[in-house]
Amino acid sequence: MKGLGGYLLRRAADRVLVLIVALTLQFLLIRVMPYYILGIDPSFFFMNPNLTNEQRELIREQFGLNDPIPTQFVKYVLSLFTGNLGFSFYTRRPVVEELLERLPNTVILLGTSTVLTIIFGLAVGLVTAMKRGTKIDTGIVSVSVFLNSIPLFYLGLILLLFLSFYFRVFPTAGTISRPPPKEPLAYIADYMWHMALPLMTQLIINIGGYALFIRSLFITQLGEDYIITARAKGMAEHQIMFTHVLRNILPPIITTIALALPGIVSGAVITETIFSWYGVGRWLFEASLQLDYPVVQAVLFISVVLTIVSLYIADIVIAIVDPRVRLR
Amino acid sequence: MSLLKDRRLRTFLDFFKLLLKHRSGRIGLIMLTFFVFVAVFAPVISPHKPDEMGLADRFALPIWFKLLPQYSDLPENLELNIHAQDWLIGKSSQYIVASIEDGWLSLSPSVEGMKPREDYILLEHDIEYPYSPPKRFEIHIPYTVTVEGELGSYARIRVYLVDVDGRSYMLYDGRPIAYNKTVIDPPLRIDTRDIGLKLRLGFSPYDDVGEKIFSKKGVYRLRLEVRLFTVSNGTVTVRLGTVYFRIPGLVFGLLGTDNLGSDLFANLIYGTRVSLLVGILASVISVSIGLAVGVVAGYKGGFVDQTLMFLTDTLLFMPTIPLLIAISVFIGKNLYLTITLIALLSWMWFARNCRALVMSLRDRPFVEAVKAIGGSDIYIIYRHVIPQLTPIIYITLVLNIPGAILLEAALSFLNLGDPTVPSWGRMLYNARYSGAFFKMMWWWIVPPGLMITFLAMSFILIGQALDEIFNPKLKARR
Repeated sequence: MKGLGGYLLRRAADRVLVLIVALTLQFLLIRVMPYYILGIDPSFFFMNPNLTNEQRELIREQFGLNDPIPTQFVKYVLSLFTGNLGFSFYTRRPVVEELLERLPNTVILLGTSTVLTIIFGLAVGLVTAMKRGTKIDTGIVSVSVFLNSIPLFYLGLILLLFLSFYFRVFPTAGTISRPPPKEPLAYIADYMWHMALPLMTQLIINIGGYALFIRSLFITQLGEDYIITARAKGMAEHQIMFTHVLRNILPPIITTIALALPGIVSGAVITETIFSWYGVGRWLFEASLQLDYPVVQAVLFISVVLTIVSLYIADIVIAIVDPRVRLR
Repeated sequence: MSLLKDRRLRTFLDFFKLLLKHRSGRIGLIMLTFFVFVAVFAPVISPHKPDEMGLADRFALPIWFKLLPQYSDLPENLELNIHAQDWLIGKSSQYIVASIEDGWLSLSPSVEGMKPREDYILLEHDIEYPYSPPKRFEIHIPYTVTVEGELGSYARIRVYLVDVDGRSYMLYDGRPIAYNKTVIDPPLRIDTRDIGLKLRLGFSPYDDVGEKIFSKKGVYRLRLEVRLFTVSNGTVTVRLGTVYFRIPGLVFGLLGTDNLGSDLFANLIYGTRVSLLVGILASVISVSIGLAVGVVAGYKGGFVDQTLMFLTDTLLFMPTIPLLIAISVFIGKNLYLTITLIALLSWMWFARNCRALVMSLRDRPFVEAVKAIGGSDIYIIYRHVIPQLTPIIYITLVLNIPGAILLEAALSFLNLGDPTVPSWGRMLYNARYSGAFFKMMWWWIVPPGLMITFLAMSFILIGQALDEIFNPKLKARR
């Protein structure tokens, strides 16, 4: 069990164990603890109070709420792994169906913002690291620290207040105008128009933090001995940056990218809620408020699975890029 | 012992000076001092408490708006306490006796004259009104009616308001009271938000009566009419307390009022306490957990290490914000619960860092030496391992605070925070859900977020300065 294959196999076993423990923890925290310790009955909130007791029993039976908790847990895990995410308590529709309805919106919004954040963050981080100590660096770092301290929801509110309510440049809410435009081009333009504010919010908040992170990665490397050697050899600064430093800081960068990927599917709860974006994040928030367990558990499950899978892919990539890892 | 104390104090002061030498540390400390000052002296800075409601009309503007010409006439709070001796008697019938007894105006028919008969008295008081029209007003009238002797006597009270042009509006028309009645606590309340009153006066239910009646500047007159009907062997006495008249202002305080008429400035000031408490407490808890887990895992190694790190990794895989939302909804809204949850979901990275550091310390010669002379594990950890971790503990302690503050604000903004606590996030939630956006009340929306931003920033700046103090290499690399 040596070499790349062994390393990846060991990691895979580890990750599967993590997934099972995470699922159990979520089930305990969200399903068992409220019911058994606080006495919150999930069926209490969605049932019509005029129903007779027999009808209530029937509905509880349908959703499998009368089974003992361990049975429920086994059923839950088994159905998760067969791709059956259950039915929403409220809409009585399959969770998968509703998820697929919202998924495109979230993927477009978060995908764009993640990709742009990474590109701009890398660029800004690189520039500030190369110009460290100059006024440009100090300026960009101060701005980044400031942006990093703004609460995401507050930036959203401020953009909404000034760009939508005062100057009416952008719409105040929604994913698309009602009724939606007929022509495909107009449709896309309208969609982009609605996406501008949420996208701006995500970008402004995330780029600052990411640039600071990249900058500190670069600067930590710059004190290493191999940099001094490279300088002694007379290499140009940008050459050092790209050939030596970048390669060495690639693993943490890959890890952060891997950590950002599940967000593309599970959505940005706060941004989507503020701008009434018809996506997965807002769905999770609304479902939580309605105690719609199947939806909440499904979204959390998907996000954990995606985190694990994307980190596993990151492991593979890092193992290829950085041979030292395999030996550990 | 005293020497030791002195030395500690001196190192602390030296450290403080070092922090002040860094520009970011200086700025951060100044900002933090400001926030701590605000939090400590909140009751002095803000005259009102954030939970006092109805201080002025709802959605009142900040008072400094009056400096602008178009708002200069907006009404401020106008309150009048009309005592018994302040009333002027406008008109009265012949046989009525008015007297003042310990602050109460007592009205009764005299024994003379023919009975049964009806007496009346008009009590008047002028109200000087120098502002543009308000939205509403209210009057509180405490009174008692005492009926003595033969049954059949009764008293009747009417309240009028006479405007500048002499038009009179009947605000209250009481029924005849033929029995003993005490209307003091609560007093008779006339509020122009009462739809019945609006309809009686001939306005639509959507009109603001205050605006219609107090439409001009000038002298208005409040008129109380008391009628006493007495039968031959009986008498009736009406005693009037201090009448309270109030026009809630449309400008109030430094930041105006919210939808319930609470002072927004008070909310902003008291919010500092909540954010500081959440940030510091959550950070202390999370650093303690992280330290404990990291040190034990790193020092013990083996099975303990693997188990603890497995737990840490599992928690790292959980999506923080969605999980926090779900748990807050399902378990409940309480400030300390929020703090605990934030702490429980934020210790993992620190635990990993600690573990790595402790592992590198574990096999150093000085640890071996202590082991050789028989030092216990606890002694080694306490005297030799943790002191080595001091820098990273301090840095993490400071740098964890902004995250906790931002997270609490976000949760409160989503209405998942403690509803009884005046936090900044909650202020923004209220703004969003009571229409501050449609009214474009930027003075409500902008300040709380700026406070959050600068508080978070002050900790980040101090953290950066600490980082540079403890890792001098970082500076040299620049």
